[in-house]
Amino acid sequence: MAQPAPPGKSPATWGVVTVLLIVAIAGALWVPIYARSMPKLGDFPFFYWFQLIWVPVTGVLCWICYLLLRGKPAAAARPEHGRGRRQ
Amino acid sequence: MNHLNAVTFAILAAAFVLVTCIGFASARWRPAEDPMHLNEWGLGGRGFGTFVSWFLLGGDIYTAYTFIAVPALVYATGAAGFYALSYTIMVFPIVFIFAPRLWSVARARGYVTPGEFVRGRYGSQGLGLAVAVTGILATMPYIALQLVGIESVLTVMGIGSTSGSAFVRDLPLIIAFAVVAAYTYLAGLRAPALIAFVKDILIYTTVIVAMLYIPGKLGGWGHIFSAASTHLNTVNPATGKPFGSIVVLPAGEWAYATLALGSALALFVYPHVTTGVFAAKRRDVIRRNTAMLPAYTLILGLIALLGFMARAEPAVNADVKAAGGNAQLSVPLLFAHMFPSWFAGIADSAIVVGALVPAAIMSIAAANLFTRTIYKELLKPDATPAQETRVARLASLIMKVGALGFALELNKTFSINLQLLGGIWILQTFPAIVISLYTRWFHRAALIIGWAAGMVYGTVQAYRTPGGGQAHFGGSAAPVFGHITYIAIAALLLNLAVAAVLTLVFRATGLQDGWDATKPSDYTADPVTVPAAAARTRTRDHSAAPGAGTPARATSAAGSRPMATPPDPQRVGRYRRTPARHERARFRGPRA
Repeated sequence: MAQPAPPGKSPATWGVVTVLLIVAIAGALWVPIYARSMPKLGDFPFFYWFQLIWVPVTGVLCWICYLLLRGKPAAAARPEHGRGRRQ
Repeated sequence: MNHLNAVTFAILAAAFVLVTCIGFASARWRPAEDPMHLNEWGLGGRGFGTFVSWFLLGGDIYTAYTFIAVPALVYATGAAGFYALSYTIMVFPIVFIFAPRLWSVARARGYVTPGEFVRGRYGSQGLGLAVAVTGILATMPYIALQLVGIESVLTVMGIGSTSGSAFVRDLPLIIAFAVVAAYTYLAGLRAPALIAFVKDILIYTTVIVAMLYIPGKLGGWGHIFSAASTHLNTVNPATGKPFGSIVVLPAGEWAYATLALGSALALFVYPHVTTGVFAAKRRDVIRRNTAMLPAYTLILGLIALLGFMARAEPAVNADVKAAGGNAQLSVPLLFAHMFPSWFAGIADSAIVVGALVPAAIMSIAAANLFTRTIYKELLKPDATPAQETRVARLASLIMKVGALGFALELNKTFSINLQLLGGIWILQTFPAIVISLYTRWFHRAALIIGWAAGMVYGTVQAYRTPGGGQAHFGGSAAPVFGHITYIAIAALLLNLAVAAVLTLVFRATGLQDGWDATKPSDYTADPVTVPAAAARTRTRDHSAAPGAGTPARATSAAGSRPMATPPDPQRVGRYRRTPARHERARFRGPRA
């Protein structure tokens, strides 16, 4: 899913983002990773607890990608941004 | 189970009244300067920040049908039903990739629906129409299924089911839908956005309480899983095979993965989800939300586990059997048997309100599609924004009545079959909507024929799939080259292959292609404001008049926050599809 890098972000940043997102998707898409019942966590077969744990992992990966891609000038523009402009 | 519980009913009624008040009051929320613009009614002013968007997108993606059907599937077949969890895990990284580009181009060009984007990108009315019609067709049964979700709650509560008259039986549903239709008509997207707050409070409360309370009452998770696995390993007399499995078997892995991937890709092109995306205030809002929306996924996973809990409760199994084996009743029944009646009322309200929010968003999304791609494009090209809004409001009413008709008049199985088909159909618009965000390589005619091929193949294949006691439309996965695959994915691959081959053919034969109204910088633009007036001029003349996107760009350049892509002439040159001068004469559309 390589995107044409918009100006301002280095190809390396896009590379990292691509890898992180592929990891997030693959963790859910590649079923043989988790289609097993052992090891159990408490009474939960692996199949269930792995997927439930993968949910916050995906959230964290997306958050890292968001931070990586967030424009640097955004920090400077914060006060204006935070005022919640309405139209 | 047909005994009406007064406490449960009173709480459900109170929740409904509260939601109705909020729905009508939302018309005054963030009042617009020009309420009769489609940006206002249809997209809530395009000004939702991270917080509101989180609720709105959550309300979009997790519908009542999800809350009923996913645990029902888990109840009946075990691990296979968990593909819904896998699908809602991978949908957010996918949204992270595609959605910001779609948001940007829609904002820069004033598009309200994906149909307009495709129309603008390819200069093709036909392709825009195909996308819009597919969206409307796929959405209608989806709304109807929200009603099926409400119906199963009402059935378990015993409302209406004892009456002999069909009208009395359906009356609660008709009243509920009429009220929703009224405030959606009035307030547009603002209504579901506000009601989503109530919906989520109810749902999160219900699920957390259910997770803490029910397993203890049933003898712990160990017992729940063993009861489920005992049932799943039992041989089904109808098929001669076990009912299911507690962990996906190697033979089922391919179906599980393709179902999850196909659903995740399809979700993004459903009109109600693009509507939620377009309503965001800033480009960053969407990416930030992909990190926070998985909270709903976690809830969905826990809701899916309710299916196993229902299996571990003998009283639920007995009642499901008494209702002709309708597994869709398992969760409402579980609530009725496990919770004290007041909390059962809260839990039922969660499902019912959880149906109203997406039903409202879906009808608005379909109405936007109709208005911008069919009414304005074909019937009345010079429609004013006020006329557009009036038509959209009316269309949302018609969508609701249509869905009600579906749910009441037609066999329930028929709605479910249509929903299954809807998922297959909507994915066929993926190349035109999502791939177009990156490349304009495909020929417009090739995309239309590819779309048609995918639609026909998917429909025929779904028709030919037996299962669940039905000869046709028995399931969403069918064998393709020896693997059980989600039909939508197989149809999408066919669609892409046809489109690619025909693009080469059409290029070789020099068949006329359309004019691209978008600019490369549109896809990364991040304008701060969308002045309604500017949006209007842009949408009225969206065939690439020079400087069509200028108002938005000017504001972002003047604002303290530079937009993501300063117009870089070199880059524009690289990506822009500007036809060579000798080619230009062949294009029919107005020229830049």
